[in-house]
Amino acid sequence: MAISRPTGSRTRLVVLLLASVTLLTFGVRDVPVIRDVREGVGTVVDPVVGAVQAAARPLGNAWNGITDYGNLEDENAELRDRLAQLEGDRVAATDAETQFAELSRSVDLPYVGDVPTVAARVSSGPRSNFSHAVEIDKGTDDGIAVGMPVATGGGLVGRVSRASGSTATVELLSDPEFRVGVRLAEGGELGTARGQGRGEPLAVDTGIDPDTEVAEGTGLVTSGVDRSAYPAGIPVGEVTKTREGSGGLALDLVVEPLVDVDSLSYVTVLQWTGDE
Amino acid sequence: MRPRRRFVLAKTVLVLIGALLLQIGAVADLRLLGATGDLLLLLAVAAGWVDGPDRGLSWGFAAGLAYDLVLDTPFGLSALTYAVVGYAVGLVSVALSRPAGWWPVSIAALAGVLATGIYAGVGHLVGVPYPFGDLPPVALVVAAWNAVLILPVMRLMRRLVGAQKPDRIALVLGGRR
Repeated sequence: MAISRPTGSRTRLVVLLLASVTLLTFGVRDVPVIRDVREGVGTVVDPVVGAVQAAARPLGNAWNGITDYGNLEDENAELRDRLAQLEGDRVAATDAETQFAELSRSVDLPYVGDVPTVAARVSSGPRSNFSHAVEIDKGTDDGIAVGMPVATGGGLVGRVSRASGSTATVELLSDPEFRVGVRLAEGGELGTARGQGRGEPLAVDTGIDPDTEVAEGTGLVTSGVDRSAYPAGIPVGEVTKTREGSGGLALDLVVEPLVDVDSLSYVTVLQWTGDE
Repeated sequence: MRPRRRFVLAKTVLVLIGALLLQIGAVADLRLLGATGDLLLLLAVAAGWVDGPDRGLSWGFAAGLAYDLVLDTPFGLSALTYAVVGYAVGLVSVALSRPAGWWPVSIAALAGVLATGIYAGVGHLVGVPYPFGDLPPVALVVAAWNAVLILPVMRLMRRLVGAQKPDRIALVLGGRR
């Protein structure tokens, strides 16, 4: 049986698909209008979402208790062991910290120097299955702006990708769109690291000379070169593997991030916008 | 616009906003294998199944667009994905004359897998390479959520759109309401 589709419906199909593709084109280019609209919506929606989250927290806790029960038992035992060990390390660390702070002041490292910081709590994880961003409970009211680097004591976490009055979104370094200029802690070679998804290591596949000798365990820090989006010296990760890049033009590095971005509770936003 | 249509439109907007707030305020934190369900996709699937491809398309576009507004992923990607999935589910629903039983549950689960594939595939095309290793757990969890929730969401959808005119494609293809 030959079936003819109604004209109105076909028009709607074409119009909506074209509209989607057009929006996607603008979205991929991150045009300012869309960014502004998203920020506006965030300003309105975020406080309501906060209330919904507070109401749903018992449900979330119960869910995590059920789905993570086995892991929690193991984690609890492991944490007890680690706590005992850390107690011992604490005294030694205090002394080392004092010396390090003094040294940092004397060499004026930007990361630990006079960049003002804002501590924030991670209020919720990624909002969708394909999102690599978390929400924090501080926003423009606290001096946070789009583009500011976010770190923990361990190292770089990501950057602020959206900020409204009382909340902000942090793009994590696991995001496939995330890029950061890095420098080898030993040797000083510069390259660019990019995210490869949740639980995956970072990839450095541009910038490192193929003849460079890079040992496993070599640390990477943000390069902080001119116009970099990050100040120099923020620890990023450690090299776990090296291999020849495609065409032999660069050395590819597999880098394990120092911070587990899937289990963040608190982060520090560096009020650094690159103009300094 | 007639008062009744305005009323339906207002209810539709309320359902979309409610689903969006529930999704990002509660469901997004209920993770299994690192993935979570997707209420906005579920609305598109239910609309397609209950009311045909035309409405599946419209609901998918609207729900995806609403979701895109609060995400950091490329704007328009959810709208495109959910519109295509809503339309496809509508076509299947009409072609099979909307069978009951396990059919809607199975189709909703398949729609979850399809949506995951389309989202990641189009993402790759536009230069956002979502890792393929992330996809199986995401597809599995979205399919499971869809399968569990599709029947109550279909009931909600029937109550919401029941008073509207039948889907035009469904009429032409001879689908029963």
